[in-house]
Amino acid sequence: MAEKKPAKFSVQDLSLYYGDFKALNQINMEIPQNEIIAFIGPSGCGKSTFLKTINRMNDLIEGVKVEGKIYMDGTDIYKDIDVIKLRQKVGMVFQQPNPFPMSIYDNVAYGPRIHGIKKKSQLDEIVETSLKQAAIWDEVKDRLKKNALGMSGGQQQRICIARALAVEPEVILMDEPTSALDPISTLKIEDLAVELKEKYTIIIVTHNMQQASRISDRTAFFLTGDVIEYGETEEIFNNPVQKKTEDYITGRFG
Amino acid sequence: MSRKAKDNLVRGAIYGCAGFTVLILVVIIGFIVIKGLPGISIDFLTRDYEDKTTYISVDAAEQEQTSGQEEGYVSSIKAVIGLNDKGQAVITKLDEDSPLKEAKNTKNEAYPVSKKDIITKAGDLKIEGISSLSDAVSSLNGLSGNVKLKITRPGGGILPMVVTTLYMIGISLLISAPVGIFSAVYLIEYAKPGRLMSTIHFAIQNLAGIPSIIYGLFGSLFFVKVCRLQYSLLAGALTLSIILLPTIITTTEEALKAIPKTYRESSLGLGATKLQTINKVILPNAMPGILVALLLGIGRIVGESAALLLTAGTVAQIPQALFGNSASGATLTIKMYTLMKEENDLTTACAIGIVLLVIIIFINWASKAITKRLLKKGA
Repeated sequence: MAEKKPAKFSVQDLSLYYGDFKALNQINMEIPQNEIIAFIGPSGCGKSTFLKTINRMNDLIEGVKVEGKIYMDGTDIYKDIDVIKLRQKVGMVFQQPNPFPMSIYDNVAYGPRIHGIKKKSQLDEIVETSLKQAAIWDEVKDRLKKNALGMSGGQQQRICIARALAVEPEVILMDEPTSALDPISTLKIEDLAVELKEKYTIIIVTHNMQQASRISDRTAFFLTGDVIEYGETEEIFNNPVQKKTEDYITGRFG
Repeated sequence: MSRKAKDNLVRGAIYGCAGFTVLILVVIIGFIVIKGLPGISIDFLTRDYEDKTTYISVDAAEQEQTSGQEEGYVSSIKAVIGLNDKGQAVITKLDEDSPLKEAKNTKNEAYPVSKKDIITKAGDLKIEGISSLSDAVSSLNGLSGNVKLKITRPGGGILPMVVTTLYMIGISLLISAPVGIFSAVYLIEYAKPGRLMSTIHFAIQNLAGIPSIIYGLFGSLFFVKVCRLQYSLLAGALTLSIILLPTIITTTEEALKAIPKTYRESSLGLGATKLQTINKVILPNAMPGILVALLLGIGRIVGESAALLLTAGTVAQIPQALFGNSASGATLTIKMYTLMKEENDLTTACAIGIVLLVIIIFINWASKAITKRLLKKGA
C-alpha cells in the first residue's frame, strides 16, 4: 500500500500525568508525513490527551507532567522549540466549531495578523487561499465581512480549518472535528481532509469508526492510556492483531 | 381556614408588599419632581451658582437720533434694557454691533456682556431703584466716550456642579478603570487558584462593603493632608477610585469568566501569545461587560456624597486645577446636601434631584441596552 514516507513525528516513551493520574503510558509512535492518522478508542482512553501533547496545548492545564520525548523533524518539541513557533507549525481544529465572534475575514486573518502581517493586500491573499483550501471560498466570498457565528455549523468548522491553514502550518490536528456536525457537513470535512493531506500531515481523533476507515492511512487504537495497536488502517480494520482492537472495532465494547 | 382563604391571604400580602414598594418610589420621585420642577430651566442648567459682579469698560457708541426703536432701546450701548424689581437695568437684547460685546474687564481681558446681565452702575451713576424705564434709558444715553459699567451676571445655576461632577467622573474612571480592568485580567487569566487568590477575593468583597465615609476619612487624612492635595478634584477622584475598584474588578471578572474557553484555546492554538490572546480576543469580547462596570461606576460617582464631602469640599465653583487651592468643587450631590443643610433651599435641592434622577435613569437604560446587545450577540 502506502510507500514509505519520511517520519514527521517520532514519539518516544511518552507518558503524561494529570497530577498523580497517569493518562498516557509510554507511547512510542512514528507518524509519517502527508498522511492522515486516525486515533480511535473509547472515551477517556487518552487519544485527545495525546493529540494535545503534540502542539503542547496540555501546557495550559494545571498539574500536567510530561515524560519522554516527541520529535518533530528531529527537533524535541518540549525542549528545543518555542511553544508559539510549535503551535504555528502544528495547527489545531477543535471538536466544537469555535470561530471568534468576528467577521469571517477577521477570523481567517487573525493568525497572520498576530504573526505580524499587516499589509492589506497580503492578508487578502492569505484569506482567499486559506478559504479556498478549506473548500468554503465559494460559499462565503460575498460575505467576508459578515459575522462568522452566523454561518452553519459545518461552514463554521471549515472557517476554523481555514483559520488554522492561514498560519501555514505543516501539521493539522483535528479533535473530533465532525462530532458536532450533520452527515453532509461531515462528508465535506472528510473530503477536505483527504485533499489537504497532499500538503499537510493530518492527525484526527474520531469516535466514528467509518470515518477512520474512510479517510485515514494509519490508525492507532488507544485504550486506558496505552496504544494497543498502531498500523495501516486497512490492516487494523480488516485484520487486527490484538483481540481488544477487534472487539472495539466490531462494537463489542466502547 | 380553608386552603382558598389562605391562598388569598398570602397573595394579598405579596401584592400589598409589591404595591407598597412602588408607592414609596412614586411618592419620593413625585415629591422631588413637584418640588423641583419649578426650579428647572435653561438658566438653571447653564448659569453659574453665585452672582458675579464685574467692572467693565465700554466705548459708548455715537449717538444717532433714530426713531421707531423698541421701548427701552439705549443707543449709546446699542442694547435694549428692562427694569427688574430692584429698579436695575437688565439687558434684554443686544444689537449685532453693540459696544457691550467688545467690553473689557479691569484686567483688560475681553468680557462680552450677554443677555440678562444687569447694569447696576454706569460711571458714577448708580442704576438702582429707578422707577421708570425712560429714566433709565435717558441716564444711560447720557454716556459718552469710554465708560465704566458695573455689571452683575446673575447666578442661581448649577453649571459649576455639573462640570465638577463630569470632571470627577472623568478623572476617577481614568484612574480606576485601567487599574480595575488589569486587576481582573490578572485574577482571571494569570493568578493560580489557591490561598492567595481566595485572600484577594475576600479582600475585594469586603472592600465593596465598607461604608464610603470610611474611605472618605482615609482620603481626607491621606490624600488631602499627607499628600497635601488639599480639598481638591484629585483627592476626591483618588478616593472615589478606591471605592469603585471592587465593583469594577468583580464586574470585569464576571465578563471575563463568561468568555468561552474555546476562544482562548483557538487563539493560543494559532500560535498567539497569552498577551495577544487577551488583547485581541478576550478584552474585545468582554467589552460590553466592562462598559457596564464603568457605567455602574459612574452611577456610584454621581451618587457619592460622604467620601467627597471630606475630600473635594463643598464650594460651588468650577475647579481651576487638579489639586491645590483652587481645585476644590462640589458635585451635584454634595451641593444638594449643603443646600438642604445650610441654606434650606428645598426647590433648588429638588431641582438638582431631578437632574440626578435623569442621569441615573440614563445610566441604567444604557447598561441595560449594552447587556441586551451582549446577550443578542452571544445567541
